[in-house]
Amino acid sequence: MARKAKRDLTIEQKLARGPIDLPFLALVMLLTAIGLIMVLSASFASAMYDLENLTKGDPYYYFKRQAGFAAAGVVAMFVISKIDYQQFRWMSIFVLAASVVLMLLVFTPLGRTGGGARRWIRLGPVRFQPSEIAKIGVILFFAARLSKRKPQLGPPPKKKWNRRTLLGRTCEKLDSIGFLELIPYGIALGVVLGVIALQEHMSAMILVIVGAASVLFAAGIRLGWFAAGGTLIGAGLWFIITQTDYMKLRIQIWQDPSSDLRRGGYQPWQGRIAIGSGGLLGTGLGNSRQKYLFLPEEHNDYIFAIVCEELGMVGACMIIALFALLIIRGFWLAIHAHDRFGTLLLVGIMSLMAFQVFFNIGVVTGVLPPTGISLPFFSYGGTALMIQLAEMGMVLSVSRQIAAPKAE
Amino acid sequence: MQDPKRTPRKGDHGRSNRSLFRRTIFLMVVLGIGIFLPLIAQLYKLQIVEHTQWQERAANQQTKDVPVSAGRGTIYDREGRTMALSATVYKLILSPVGVLRSIEEDDYDTEAEYKQALYDRRKLIVDWLVDTFGYDEDDMWDQIEYTASAYQVLARELEEEDAEKVRSFTSKNGISGLLYLSPDSKRYYPYSSVGSHVLGYMAQNKTSGDNKIGVQGVEAMYEDALSGSLGRVVTSKNGLGVEMISGYEMYFDAEEGCDITLTLDERIQAMLEQTLAEGISTYDVQKGAFGIAMNPKTGAILAMASTPDFDPNEYAKILDSDLQQELESLAAEKGEDSDEYKAALKSARDAQWKNRALGEAYEPGSVFKPITVSMALEEGIISMNDHFQCSGGKVVGDRTISCHKRTGHGDQVLTKAVGNSCNVALMTIAERMGPDIMWKYFGDFGLFDYTGIDLAGEGEDVFWPESEFKGPYGAQSVAVGSFGQRFKVTPIQMITAFAAVINGGHLLEPYVVQSIADGDGNTVYYHETTEVRQVISEDTSDKVRGILESVVANDSGHNASMNGYRIGGKTGTSELLDRKNDPGYNKDVMCSFMGFAPADDPEVLVLLVYDTPKRSGPGSSYTASGTYISGGNIAAPMAGQLIANILDYIGIERVYSDNELAGPDTAMPRVTGQELTVAKSSLQSVGFQCRTVGTGSIVQGQVPAAGVSIPGGSTVVLYLGEDAPTEQVEVPSLTGLSPTESKNKLEALGLFMRATGVVDYNDPSVEGASQTIAEGTMVSLGTVVEVRFVSTIEYGDQGGA
Repeated sequence: MARKAKRDLTIEQKLARGPIDLPFLALVMLLTAIGLIMVLSASFASAMYDLENLTKGDPYYYFKRQAGFAAAGVVAMFVISKIDYQQFRWMSIFVLAASVVLMLLVFTPLGRTGGGARRWIRLGPVRFQPSEIAKIGVILFFAARLSKRKPQLGPPPKKKWNRRTLLGRTCEKLDSIGFLELIPYGIALGVVLGVIALQEHMSAMILVIVGAASVLFAAGIRLGWFAAGGTLIGAGLWFIITQTDYMKLRIQIWQDPSSDLRRGGYQPWQGRIAIGSGGLLGTGLGNSRQKYLFLPEEHNDYIFAIVCEELGMVGACMIIALFALLIIRGFWLAIHAHDRFGTLLLVGIMSLMAFQVFFNIGVVTGVLPPTGISLPFFSYGGTALMIQLAEMGMVLSVSRQIAAPKAE
Repeated sequence: MQDPKRTPRKGDHGRSNRSLFRRTIFLMVVLGIGIFLPLIAQLYKLQIVEHTQWQERAANQQTKDVPVSAGRGTIYDREGRTMALSATVYKLILSPVGVLRSIEEDDYDTEAEYKQALYDRRKLIVDWLVDTFGYDEDDMWDQIEYTASAYQVLARELEEEDAEKVRSFTSKNGISGLLYLSPDSKRYYPYSSVGSHVLGYMAQNKTSGDNKIGVQGVEAMYEDALSGSLGRVVTSKNGLGVEMISGYEMYFDAEEGCDITLTLDERIQAMLEQTLAEGISTYDVQKGAFGIAMNPKTGAILAMASTPDFDPNEYAKILDSDLQQELESLAAEKGEDSDEYKAALKSARDAQWKNRALGEAYEPGSVFKPITVSMALEEGIISMNDHFQCSGGKVVGDRTISCHKRTGHGDQVLTKAVGNSCNVALMTIAERMGPDIMWKYFGDFGLFDYTGIDLAGEGEDVFWPESEFKGPYGAQSVAVGSFGQRFKVTPIQMITAFAAVINGGHLLEPYVVQSIADGDGNTVYYHETTEVRQVISEDTSDKVRGILESVVANDSGHNASMNGYRIGGKTGTSELLDRKNDPGYNKDVMCSFMGFAPADDPEVLVLLVYDTPKRSGPGSSYTASGTYISGGNIAAPMAGQLIANILDYIGIERVYSDNELAGPDTAMPRVTGQELTVAKSSLQSVGFQCRTVGTGSIVQGQVPAAGVSIPGGSTVVLYLGEDAPTEQVEVPSLTGLSPTESKNKLEALGLFMRATGVVDYNDPSVEGASQTIAEGTMVSLGTVVEVRFVSTIEYGDQGGA
């Protein structure tokens, strides 16, 4: 693009050079910065006490790594925001395919075990969960494909089925209720979920499903399908919860963590102690007591408990408010996006973000049963942070092509 | 989107776009606002509504609250001897859950490796405990595998030496949080059983939980002062239970327990206990004995004892050998698990923990007579010159109450009547006085109230109802009450009332704690003599003291007399009619003596009570060894000896009267090498007589050697023309000999006699009762043998019914 003179730019190219949305950028940078500070605060104690293994007693170990990834992530965000997001259309299928391949690589010697499950892959110096890529891959793919979808509310579909064969009649029937068009999405989703299921990664499955569902929902897929899918999933969950001991125990721990403090209940219980002891104003930044080896995963999935302990209800609500503003701004951008693809892409990304925040804080505070979902921008994990910032870069890229209100 | 040519499509697009818009708005509202509402609600619940309880839970786990035990105060006796002190010991605590958690499952690749690591750590701890302290291995495994617990107490009262082993083991292996020590304190009583009833002991009870608290005596009464207040160090700790160096710390200073100084004197206490034990064995006393020694001027208790007693170091162990034997035979017969054994053990413990001198009311008997006399004198109803006729009994109401001397004491002046312990005289006095005055004085002498002594467990007195005593049928009660029968007071009440009689009429509050000093040594409490009321006048008190001195000098208390001391006192032999239906009842009596000295200015008042000396046969008046059973013949000699010992100890000088031949001890001058006449005169000048052996005019040898102290008035031996022999001589038996015979017998052998007790050289009834050096012992020439003389007159003073 740079080789061409400015006046020779196409309309599309001109659009792609528009200004990025500054409020959104500001929110992202703010959350990234606060998240970094909280990683420092939360991980300080465990890093200091870990003399033999990872950190060798360096209290800044996690912070330094996270800060490095954040810097790289911010760079990546800007680079991606420069890309004309229309390019993501053709990239989507490759991203999705690559994520599936990477997820399968987990089961090769390249894979790594962490936290008791084999979900990680190591490529050179970086260690990451390919399922992170799969989430955005599914959203990209769905948004790209659904943006070309024919309107549902128009006249009947023009395609003629051979009504003389049973197959033809069945297909026509299925087409008329909008089933056939769902098949490619179903296949893509099925493949991704299947591979994630191999990793026994429940939380990633949930996020892929809700991300995909949001895009499908916004794209105008009939509500009946959501009702049907929701009923199916609900029935499945009900079966699992009531029929398996494992889930029964989890539910029991969720309801009353103190009933099993020596195993599953310990972490939720410690998390609640952290949150509850924070009170209205908290113990002050850096003054958490629970981070001193009481609360496991304190700089990771349970970092929000430390936030609540140190910053109190006031600080926690402010951070929730920042997330809410980010999400609302994201959706505002989605509404104003240049085209359907931009809208659907932002809906997917922001929904994923919203659900991740909701699930994480919901689990940490005990609104939801325990499951391992990290908090965007806060939880320690360099590659996850980078991928999140890259997604934000996509949002910003879309935001460039929004026409200024005056031009309308 | 911007295609003006295809309007219908645009409509489709418009509708489609509206749907997209609506659904996106819907998602924006739900995901941007809706989902955060339950989260904020939950935060409100946890952080605001339930904040306090979570904060408490947080504080509980985040802080290490180490109690700093305040050293329990030391208990000293009057002279500063340490009677009870605390030393730091340790509780050894194991945290099985800590051991479990110290091995992280995630650190191991396979479950087998993890299990092996956990087993290794447990084995390390168990093996060390078994090797070092010899604990039971199976038990230790049970404890360490009981992972529901974080606090298993493996041992209490670990001494510093063992604690050090634990510390070095845990720090070497990096398991300080898993096996650790918690300081505790242990009470030591250096004089073991001496003063046990007054000191009390430390034990756990229902309310004290894991801690021991004082449950008897001073330990219980002054629990708050002694224990001080527990201090705490609150430090922050991390999730592994390790204290954090730069964390939050708060100190609550322990307030050291106060030190207590008793009025009790360990030596006097030991003398009293020794006297009780000696009397019990000499007179085969069946049901124990008790006694109190008090300073009558202040109410300070110098000693208080009751048998059987116990060792507060091991308060549950049966100390009395007879009780122990009974229990052992019962255990052998029925087994230690039998109900009989348990019941017997419990009653034996209760018996040894019981302080009868404080907690059990008894009938004082004739010891009470001076109190009756003092009332009548105070009220002017009798005078010192009054005479009382005794014909052996007195008709009261519808019956005759006899005197212990059935033939009657005849005509007696007041002093003699008390000396004779004449019941008829006392009944006469009471009759003249009437019940109202008596009842008033019972109250004034404090017999209806607790004495207020600072010991827990004061007993209750037992009296007739006032209306009965003063009513038309009260005459007999008034009569027997005059000589201390048919009502009960506690020994402490009795001695307190008696102190008022002899100390100028002041009823004092008895006490055992003289002063309390806080941890820094500042005196925070000092007992000032507390007078409850003046009961009788100084003048009356003086008269009664005179009467009581005469009782010991001339009459029924004669066996308490010790030469060199002016001792006053009163004997008592109380009938125990309320035991009539007990198995083994054989005219049970309590033989008691209340004595004080010096008679003109009492420094010490002693009450001794022996419960039921064994009679030689049913209805016999004598013990198996032939001693007449009465206060005057059993308790008085014991009391006299005790009083003399106490006076010697507290440094009251003996003053010898003329008729007490044996003067104070005098040092033998050096006369060897002198002319006989010179030697004789120098010996006479210091009060010695002499006899010579051999012939010549120069003293060549002397017995005893120069500088040796022997009783004044002794006859020393001078050897003329020969050296003093060096061979030893055998001590003869002096039992049953008169003082003169004994002295002569000893001096003939070259030994000397120090006479104690009733030393009346003209009274044929006085005879040697005991000697300090047993018959047959070989001793060097010049050795002093101390001989105790008693009167064999039968001093009856029993109350009749």
